[in-house]
Amino acid sequence: MNTPQPHTPAAVQPREEDEFAPGAAEWPEDFSRRRFLQIMAASLALAGGGACTRLPHGEILPYLRQPESLVPGKPLYFATSMNFGGTAQGLLVRSNEGRPTKIEGNPDHPGSLGRSSVHAQAELLSLYDPARSHTPMKLGHPETWEGWLGEALPRIAHWKEREGAGVRLLIQRIGSPTMRAQLAQFLAKYPKARLHFHDAAFPESPMPARVHHDRVQVVLSLDAELFGHGAAHLSAALAFAKSRLSEEQPGRLYAVECTPTLTGAMADHRRTLAPSALVKYAQALADAVAGRAQPSDEWSAALIRDLQKNPGRSVVVAGHFQPLSVHQAARALNEALGNIGKTIDYTPAAAAELAPATLGELVTAMNHGEVDSLLILGGNPVYDTPADLSFAAALAKIPFSAHHGVYENETAQLCRWHLPESHFLEAWSDAQTLDGAESIGQPLIDPLYPSRSAHELLAMLLEQVPTTGYEIIRAAWQKRHPADDFESFWRKTLHDGVAANAAPAVPAAARESSPNAETPALAGLELILRPDAHILDGRYAENAWLQELPKPFTQLTWENAALISPQTAKALRLEHGKLAELRYRGRTLRAPVWILPGQAENCVTIHLGYGRSRAGTVGTGLGSNAFALQTSDALWGGGGLEVHSLGERHTFATTQSQQYMEGRDPVRLVTPGKTSVATESESTPSLYPAWKYDGPAWGMVIDLSACIGCSACTIACQAENNIPVVGREQVLRRREMHWIRVDRYFDGDAAAPRFLHQPVPCMHCENAPCELVCPVGATVHDHEGLNVMVYNRCVGTRYCSNNCPYKVRRFNFLKYNDTDSPTLKLMRNPNVTVRMRGVMEKCTYCLQRISAARITAEKEQRPIRDGEVVPACAQACPADAIIFGDINDKASRVTALRKSPRHYSLLDDLNTRPRTTYLARLRNPNPEIG
Amino acid sequence: MQSTAQTCETVSDRLSGLVLKRPLGLAWVGGLAIAFTLLLLLNVAVGWLLMNGVGIWGINQPVAWGFAIVNFVWWIGIGHAGTFISAILLLLHQHWRTSINRFTEAMTLFAVACAGIFPLLHLGRPWVFYFLVPYPDTMRLWPQWRSPLVWDVFAVSTYFTVSLVYWYIGLVPDLATMRDRAKQRWIKIVYGIGALGWRGSAKHWARYEMAYLLLAGLATPLVLSVHSVVSFDFAVAVLPGWHSTIFPPYFVAGAIFSGFAMVLTLLIPVRAAYGLKDIITERHLDLAAKVMLATGLMVALGYASEHWMAWYSDESNEEFVALNRMFGPYWPVWWTTMTCNILIPQALWWRSVRINPVLLFCISILVNVGMWAERYMIVVVSLHRDFLPSSWGKFHGTIWDWSTFIGTIGLFFTLLFLFVRLLPMIPIAEMRKQTVEDEAK
Amino acid sequence: MLTFRARNPLGCCVKHMITEGMSQLFPRYSNTLAPAAIAAVLVTVGVAIWTIHAFVFSSYATEVGHPVSQVVPFSHQHHVAGLGIDCRYCHTGVETSSFAGIPATETCMTCHSQVWRDAPMLAPVRDSWTTGQPLHWNRVHNLPDYVYFDHSIHVQKGVACVSCHGRVDRMPLMAKSQTLYMRWCLDCHEAPEKHLRPASDVFLMKDEAPDPHRGAELARAAGVQTAHLQDCSVCHR
Repeated sequence: MNTPQPHTPAAVQPREEDEFAPGAAEWPEDFSRRRFLQIMAASLALAGGGACTRLPHGEILPYLRQPESLVPGKPLYFATSMNFGGTAQGLLVRSNEGRPTKIEGNPDHPGSLGRSSVHAQAELLSLYDPARSHTPMKLGHPETWEGWLGEALPRIAHWKEREGAGVRLLIQRIGSPTMRAQLAQFLAKYPKARLHFHDAAFPESPMPARVHHDRVQVVLSLDAELFGHGAAHLSAALAFAKSRLSEEQPGRLYAVECTPTLTGAMADHRRTLAPSALVKYAQALADAVAGRAQPSDEWSAALIRDLQKNPGRSVVVAGHFQPLSVHQAARALNEALGNIGKTIDYTPAAAAELAPATLGELVTAMNHGEVDSLLILGGNPVYDTPADLSFAAALAKIPFSAHHGVYENETAQLCRWHLPESHFLEAWSDAQTLDGAESIGQPLIDPLYPSRSAHELLAMLLEQVPTTGYEIIRAAWQKRHPADDFESFWRKTLHDGVAANAAPAVPAAARESSPNAETPALAGLELILRPDAHILDGRYAENAWLQELPKPFTQLTWENAALISPQTAKALRLEHGKLAELRYRGRTLRAPVWILPGQAENCVTIHLGYGRSRAGTVGTGLGSNAFALQTSDALWGGGGLEVHSLGERHTFATTQSQQYMEGRDPVRLVTPGKTSVATESESTPSLYPAWKYDGPAWGMVIDLSACIGCSACTIACQAENNIPVVGREQVLRRREMHWIRVDRYFDGDAAAPRFLHQPVPCMHCENAPCELVCPVGATVHDHEGLNVMVYNRCVGTRYCSNNCPYKVRRFNFLKYNDTDSPTLKLMRNPNVTVRMRGVMEKCTYCLQRISAARITAEKEQRPIRDGEVVPACAQACPADAIIFGDINDKASRVTALRKSPRHYSLLDDLNTRPRTTYLARLRNPNPEIG
Repeated sequence: MQSTAQTCETVSDRLSGLVLKRPLGLAWVGGLAIAFTLLLLLNVAVGWLLMNGVGIWGINQPVAWGFAIVNFVWWIGIGHAGTFISAILLLLHQHWRTSINRFTEAMTLFAVACAGIFPLLHLGRPWVFYFLVPYPDTMRLWPQWRSPLVWDVFAVSTYFTVSLVYWYIGLVPDLATMRDRAKQRWIKIVYGIGALGWRGSAKHWARYEMAYLLLAGLATPLVLSVHSVVSFDFAVAVLPGWHSTIFPPYFVAGAIFSGFAMVLTLLIPVRAAYGLKDIITERHLDLAAKVMLATGLMVALGYASEHWMAWYSDESNEEFVALNRMFGPYWPVWWTTMTCNILIPQALWWRSVRINPVLLFCISILVNVGMWAERYMIVVVSLHRDFLPSSWGKFHGTIWDWSTFIGTIGLFFTLLFLFVRLLPMIPIAEMRKQTVEDEAK
Repeated sequence: MLTFRARNPLGCCVKHMITEGMSQLFPRYSNTLAPAAIAAVLVTVGVAIWTIHAFVFSSYATEVGHPVSQVVPFSHQHHVAGLGIDCRYCHTGVETSSFAGIPATETCMTCHSQVWRDAPMLAPVRDSWTTGQPLHWNRVHNLPDYVYFDHSIHVQKGVACVSCHGRVDRMPLMAKSQTLYMRWCLDCHEAPEKHLRPASDVFLMKDEAPDPHRGAELARAAGVQTAHLQDCSVCHR
């Protein structure tokens, strides 16, 4: 059964076992699983021999010394934290026999509140990615850390005598206080050295601010990404969901934006403007509120009235990618509305004390030969910097350059040295939220490869002892948190994942420097550049989970496209799915055209992060590289773009071909006035006797008012249930494997559509059509009402899938699961079968979690408590939109929600009586606008 | 007519001569060579399939059934004419059947053999096919009896077995004749074994007649049951376009329709090639064409009622399916079906067309195409757009889909070529009986 | 019909035989051979079915009673019957985890750093201790990977070790004592009360079957939930 691998991260040569943390009790599962496949194949020969084969003997390797807390077969959870765009995401990581197997949010952490983002979830795959950098490289040849030291130490001596003249550090967003301290020490030790900041996914906001969403009634977003990747999107999403669903006064959200964002999708009123127009509009609003001018139109007038009705309870947020003027306008509005200090605080720029210089200055210095040593800490400037800087050329002039990163990427290739960085689950670090809450990042596994963390590398350069991450972090903490009983403080912080005495950051004056120049309204179209929703600036290009995760508005996977509004496309005679050439300031780029309703007129959006030339086996050569059009004066686009169709066809790997609801009502909408939807006809008779449940009866309710369409559920499910990636070719054939998909529909006219997102897992129908037609009883009803899938009984007729009205079943058309790559074996959840080729699979409501809870409960001889079982999707959901529980339990949350007037079930007229049901999406439009 | 010219002697002589005396024709060898090449193609396709899985086909979500099921239904349908002709027409004393029943029975067997391959191959894990068979296993599990696929297993295997036995019983006296007329000893022995020591005693004949009659009685309900059961595969499902009570009769009619089409497709060249125009006469063509016309009209009624019900039920999904078939992405399939299965067969109202071999041949070919298109319409076009717009998709057959399909055609014709060469394709004994009776008149 | 049979084509055939003076094709014994062949076929089929069945339940296929060789010929007989060490001393996870647990080298060394210090038989244990390389034990009770068995719940509900693992106290080398076929699992999952023992007996090595009369009340006491015991989802995920 040796099948050619589909394009998965697995398609790489396997490596020898002994690279891995020794000692851990290796379960023989994977070994015997592979063996099992062979036997299944063998039984082809002896047909009829159901059990005519002997199971192979696995081996059991016990510990040498069994760790105190560890019981083989029982997972352990450790709190840690992840630096994401300069802020901390508090995490709780599950470890099976020493292998991190699932990342969750840490409930005690203010930054995550127990929720997690697609990126936090997907980091698990990055940890085990076989394409990670394995060893230091010098000029493209494998080297050792000793080799590096041998060359670095004389350098350091040289630096010291020249006080660090000609030494430059290029850094990204830093969320680690210890790292900031170390950099400060570095500048102290080498006074003439300079620090430069570059982060293509998390740019320095012209006016960093912290929004208190929990106190907000009316939000106006000026192209702000409140719920997408960003500083505090997890807490923001949850807070917004709360206010939206509050009985007395549901919150309201206005969005003015250039290109669809998750914020716009949740908005009650959305208006699209070209970037240049948006700048003017923001100014106009500020003037109108200040009474200097009349509102431009009725819409704006109503908006202003609504804002003024809620002084101190409203907020105006400007997006990271907007120029300073928009931020100033927003600030003016907030001042006028008395929001500052109440709903929004303006904060100092991150790492302001280090006063990092810009990338532009660095490149100039490099070109003038003022730089002889360049250390690039993370990032990939050769790829993700504006084309006009031509960083690569400048880099070539540097005698001593070193790149420290998890992947050996484009930059690593051009640097003299590449040094493998430890993944954050392998290394000690710490992180800080915007509110200043500090948390420790503790490793869950020994480094898989000879890698060092940035802390350790800096310690080397600082010639410091101690040099192990643990000692560095602990020492730094001891300095920052002088407690008489530091040991217990340290232990408690480690355990809780967040420091008890979180020092709140002081609000301060804004830093008035703008990397985002205003975009002069030139002739022609306007270009909009944004980081991709999932692979950001390309840093996640090698992560197959994120690559295959459908983009929120296009449902596109594995590539990017030039997004153009229908009208503009018609005017320019551009066709959907045809290649086009984009000309912008003398540079050109070929990209396929995607016609996207809700995109601003005369604007073309391209997402960054694609067209990587050296990402790895997964991410190389996908899509088109929008950095080729980026210029350093206007990072996020500008006017003067021309688009010409090349006429060449391009087939998009999308997971949803139909954009509208076709007059059906999968997603139902309500408003505060009318909150009731047609309820399902529960009474419809069935020929088959009804099921009886004396135990729990599991059910799930998905609240479409809360769902922001971020797809965290999809990735969480993928990680928890060992769901394989199928690759672009297979997605083109519509064979994606996601157990819970997020459907996206456009509603209303194409000019200003409403975006509707709907997560669709298995419905676990009471009268399940799939159960009826399976010839071998491989999909059956269990006594808790689950519609369970028995992989080892499945023969793969696919009849169940045909008969599933929701098409939530997924089939292993080929051998999708990589059972060979050793690292990926470590990643798998040992409590979920790794499905072989030819079997059907689908959402199980995380059966393994239900079983675990049931066993615990039965051992304690008590019923399972409400909230004791949380499926991966519900656990990850930032907005708490997925609620799971026992519908037989009168007191459970689910039961309560099922009584809501907004409650309805999908395709109820089929009398499938789903266990997964929905709450209609609540909109709160301004009556003045309607 | 001519039959006066022939006696038992000449009949036996001619018909056994077809096998024993006639030298290998170039046409036959060439034909077999082509068919066998296609059979090899099937082997390659199946080999590749077993190596990689059904993913080599075009199937996907939402269209999880593709060519395999289309072909299965198509072949099974073709397999209906034989038993219909030999069993039902026997019971109805339609004596004209005698000259073609052996041939059509053989066709039935081969068609069912081709059909039988697909349910097996379309499994994701074909090596555990036996899960569908009830047997006491170590897991104490049984098939899921509510599933039509389990009924299929029994329906199809029963049908194949009965048809095989029926066909063989009919062959016995003729094998004896072949035995007696063969020259070389080893050929005599080969046919002799097949003849089961038939000596043609009155007792033999009595038993033979009785057994033949009983099997005919047994086979008759099967003709109706098999395709009814096959149609349940669809009728039982909730999918609009499948979920329909009209399917059983409409499938059976369609089956006999396509069966007769295939009979004509094969008989017309054969009777020309082997100079059997006096045995397979214009009358036969005429009658077969009439049956085609009749069943064709039944099928038309089926289509009509499907569309009428869609409108009459006022069920939005049903309406959508009907319109989507006509004007959706797969519109050519619907129009082909209607043209080939309804429009063109209307020509058969004219006797001049019915007795014109060339025209009849073309029509029968078109009907075969039309019936395949119909199955494609039912399986693929219904699946590709169901309830939730988000899960709508498209299906395209890959090269492997086509090679498997064409491969089975190769298998079919290989068997057929060997049959006409190795066994009497016209039942000798029955023809003799015919002659004798004609003389008696 | 009758008229037909009277003057049936038999005539023709006979005529040929005469004219062609045909010799006997088959020897006389083929008359007996033919029916014999039919009988033979039937017999063969029967035998085949019986053989498969016999094989599947043979101790070769099930490996019941086949000792599995180990790097160290560890004797449960000696440690359990001889020294009276409780199961849980080594299999620490059995009450808390799905996996009963295999003792760490450290556990062996607690005693064997004192007793049998230089028995050659124990060399691998000492090597493991010195080199830090884990011992490689061969699995004896091996379930397919799609079966998720949990020791803790079975033990807690009163399924004794001996019920599935047999009299390990009589096994010099460990061997399976049950087939571990699914039908065997179901025997108990269909009627758990027949197989339950009081908590006090769970870790004891006893031959006599559990008391059938006490079963029901034990089940009640242990709060055995029977509703879902035969669901696929109880063992398969």
